[in-house]
Amino acid sequence: MPWGPPGALGWSRRTADDEESAIHPGSSPDRGPVRVEVRGLSKSFGAVRAVDDLSFSVEPGSITGFLGPNGAGKTTTLRMALGLEQPDAGTATFGGVPYAALPAPVRTVGAVLETAFHPARSGRNHLRVYCRAAGLPPGRADEVLAQVGLADAGRRRAGGYSLGMRQRLALATALLGDPAVLVLDEPANGLDPEGIQWLRGFLRHLAHDEGRTVLVSSHLLAEMEQTADRVVIVGAGRLVREGSIAELRSGAQGSGPVLVRSPQAGRLAEVLSAAGFSVAPDDDGRIAVAGTTPAAVGAQAFRAGLELHELRAESSGLEELYFRLTAGQEQYAAPEGSRP
Amino acid sequence: MTALVRAEWTKLFTTRVWIGLLLGACVLVAGFTALFTAFAGSADDGGGGPGGGGPPLPPVGTPEYEQLALATGANVTVLFLILGIIGTTQEFRHRTATPTFLTTPRRGRVITAKLLAYALAAVPLAVVVIAVNVAVVLVYAGARGDAPELSGDNLRVLAGVGAALVVYTVIGVGVGALVRNQVGAIVGALVYLFVVEAIVQLVPALSDAYKWLPGGALEAMTATIGLTELLEPWQGGLVLLGYGIVAAVLGTLLAVRRDVV
Repeated sequence: MPWGPPGALGWSRRTADDEESAIHPGSSPDRGPVRVEVRGLSKSFGAVRAVDDLSFSVEPGSITGFLGPNGAGKTTTLRMALGLEQPDAGTATFGGVPYAALPAPVRTVGAVLETAFHPARSGRNHLRVYCRAAGLPPGRADEVLAQVGLADAGRRRAGGYSLGMRQRLALATALLGDPAVLVLDEPANGLDPEGIQWLRGFLRHLAHDEGRTVLVSSHLLAEMEQTADRVVIVGAGRLVREGSIAELRSGAQGSGPVLVRSPQAGRLAEVLSAAGFSVAPDDDGRIAVAGTTPAAVGAQAFRAGLELHELRAESSGLEELYFRLTAGQEQYAAPEGSRP
Repeated sequence: MTALVRAEWTKLFTTRVWIGLLLGACVLVAGFTALFTAFAGSADDGGGGPGGGGPPLPPVGTPEYEQLALATGANVTVLFLILGIIGTTQEFRHRTATPTFLTTPRRGRVITAKLLAYALAAVPLAVVVIAVNVAVVLVYAGARGDAPELSGDNLRVLAGVGAALVVYTVIGVGVGALVRNQVGAIVGALVYLFVVEAIVQLVPALSDAYKWLPGGALEAMTATIGLTELLEPWQGGLVLLGYGIVAAVLGTLLAVRRDVV
């Protein structure tokens, strides 16, 4: 499959505008930004409160990560926002309008919820079904197939697609209406590293270059750290934290130590202790320095003339925070003792 | 609505379910018709036609033979029912209900479009089945000495078969929207048609009710060897149409209210 870098697929402002005018013949190519607002969404399944008074907003021109452990209520929230499930309370609006009341829903919101297609139908015919239903020109199917890099596989039965190709087909379905908002539920599932990188670039292009509103759910913080501009963290159906990755990172500071490795470890530990840092050797022959930054540690070592082989902030600072924020809120947590 | 109906046709004709069911229906109809014609006039239990083992089969050339032979298409209504059931349940089986309802959040419109699309698509399929039936009757009965004329009651029977095939397809779409589980809906429909209705017919206390059931209405619309008392053909048509509408309305109401999972 041709998995090129974004440029190889021929994206630019211009082609995006051309598609837009192809969909709305004679109308202005301008697509206004659309803000997503979730207010007080709640839903219970029996005694389980899957989503509990959840409110957040998603801004145009950026990628918002919807982050939480498995079973935190992410999928239920998205399905309620899209009118597929009935909330017990609360609303979700796209530019102020609930999904079911949008005049042309697929032209406002594209959603990748699950890889849903009839296995005997070709990817191209799958897309043509929804072109028909939404009143889009059938040629739009071929355009989105090319956009996600499936042009060559379009006439094959979708049942024979690999997991990654299925995700691409689901993404192509969401892109049919050239929507201002994209909602993706765990889109990286089943993608190989190359596919994940491609998806990341693709979403950035859609949000940053084309000004679309992108909401991506994931249970993996590391993935969101690299993709999202903002995150909405949920645990047990409740909002835990909402903000930019940078804000979250600064909130996490202090919780993660700086790790430093030196051939003169003993001397370095003395220097750092003398400078007032709290120092502890770690299992790996490194020194863990709490409550500081790599720059401060490096400056101390330089002043003492000590050679360093490694110097970095323990990246689990954010991971640690995420874990702490959502700890014990997984639906099926492993028993305490089995945690690494 | 036109766009939605055309989308349903695209769904229907981009998989091969309809070809399989149509071929199956044609083979069955050709086989039943040939058997029934082969044993026409024989006093023994011929095994062909409904209610074999009862009175002797009417011989070729009689109006009874002609109407029964031309009603053979009624035996494959079950396949058209299954076509309708698959039409709705495949959306839930393959989870395409999600993109379908995302594209058209007003779900009542989706189900209505499906009912219309399947009713219209069933017409040419029913015509094919009837053509096979008529061809076998004309050729085989002609070879046995007396090909029936396609007029009067014979035409009425053929029209009844055609209408029944279309209405059963619509009932299938409605049943599929109600039950959603494909295997469950098909097995349930088969058990109902071949077990429940057969029992109702046999139990004296219940047999009066048979004429009001889909099977009884179907027999009234077409032709039968007649063990049970039936409605007039037009009444049978109305009863069958009523079942189609009830299934469709219930299916639509439930599809609108239930969560898509």
